[in-house]
Amino acid sequence: MNGSDLDAGHLPPRSRGVIALLEENCTVCMLCARECPDWCIYIESHKQTVLAPDAGRPRVRNVLDRFAIDFSLCMYCGICIEVCPYDALFWSPEFGYPETAIAGLTHERDRLRDWMQTVPPPPAHDPGAPPPREAQAASPGAGPAG
Amino acid sequence: MTGAQLLAGAARHLPSARCAAEEGTVTMEVPREDWLTALTFARDTAGCDFFDWLTAVDEQDHGLAVVVHLYSIEDQQHLFVRTLVPPDDPVLPTATPLFRGAAWAERETHEMFGVVFEGHPDLVPLLLPQGFEGHPLRKDFPLAARATQDWPGAREPGEPAASARSRRRLVPPGVPEGWPPA
Amino acid sequence: MVAVDLPLPRRPGETDEAVAVPAWVRVFDAGLACCAVEVSAALRRYASKLPGEAAVNVLVVAGTVTDKLAPLVQAAYRDLPGPRRVLSFGACSNSGGPYWDSYCVTKGADQLIPVDVYVPGCPPRPEALIHGLRLLLTGAGDRP
Repeated sequence: MNGSDLDAGHLPPRSRGVIALLEENCTVCMLCARECPDWCIYIESHKQTVLAPDAGRPRVRNVLDRFAIDFSLCMYCGICIEVCPYDALFWSPEFGYPETAIAGLTHERDRLRDWMQTVPPPPAHDPGAPPPREAQAASPGAGPAG
Repeated sequence: MTGAQLLAGAARHLPSARCAAEEGTVTMEVPREDWLTALTFARDTAGCDFFDWLTAVDEQDHGLAVVVHLYSIEDQQHLFVRTLVPPDDPVLPTATPLFRGAAWAERETHEMFGVVFEGHPDLVPLLLPQGFEGHPLRKDFPLAARATQDWPGAREPGEPAASARSRRRLVPPGVPEGWPPA
Repeated sequence: MVAVDLPLPRRPGETDEAVAVPAWVRVFDAGLACCAVEVSAALRRYASKLPGEAAVNVLVVAGTVTDKLAPLVQAAYRDLPGPRRVLSFGACSNSGGPYWDSYCVTKGADQLIPVDVYVPGCPPRPEALIHGLRLLLTGAGDRP
């Protein structure tokens, strides 16, 4: 038997193994928690007033206190990742995380951040595809290719 | 029978039927008293002798619509036969004398919607456990878990967990207005 | 219910002494729904055609546990001879999964029988069953 099959390295792109959180991108908009069909995303936050040195007035931002995904409920539909407007959630192909206690299947912020290290780079576009929108926006003189 | 022949045959044999035809499919709506006549016509005259499924649709105030999907293998013609039973008297004659396969479908429709099929040989629950109360697929049967479980999306962005706001909290999708009762 | 003797796969370079557990388990696949397909794939891929000396019986509950089927799951556990363990495979068996709000679903096999290992996924990969069995038997799994 092939022991390397037990790892996630050989899996095709966009394989759904576990969900990773990039906390810096999260604005606590709550869309993922609201759209999740299983109600398995737990978010707690509070508001914080920030006065930047050169800002004209103080601004209020949301501070994330808790972001947890309960993988005992998760059905890996990906709605949270699709709906996130700020690209804070990512798919990772890792699948080997069984637990002896069901509470261990609720991954908190730190563990979700650790999964970010296993998120593969996005697969390349097909040959002949128009360039990504980010590249088009960066060089407006190039013009639309498709 | 082809679709066109079906429509013509229905006009002749089932004057009370309202028919609509699409590519390969005919939908026939009949009043309750013509239910068995329509199914007999479908099987014996129209050649739709393959029974696919039978189920119901909760039309709420209008009643319960019972739908059967029949198919003619020879003519590759689909036929949907619909009828409406009133909500206070959801009784319909059983289709089992015509289609043996309707037995289990009617058992399931009975336990899920509460339609009583007169003459059914064994109208007992099929899928629900013993002692289950209510008819789950009716629209007025709410999913209790959605109303009693705390919805993670009920909080607003930036609202702390121990918030004492008296503002009415967001209701999760799938929970009817005013449920659970206080 | 299928009983399959499974030699536990080793990672490259890993010896029996390194793992220090019984090398064989007897898997009883209580495949209730779609997760049964993944368990079958795992057993087909990793099971040996030769009988082994299984030291422990593992009941794998794979699939949605409906209220109507709950007594049968309890009976399967009750009738399993020791030494026995239970592995819950997939979201439905862990907690009710996508059907947590259903009117007829038991929210997790652990509502009925004691569960030793929970394998997350919907469905988990066949290899995830192997990870779960390794955790069941080594107690440490693949994490350092």
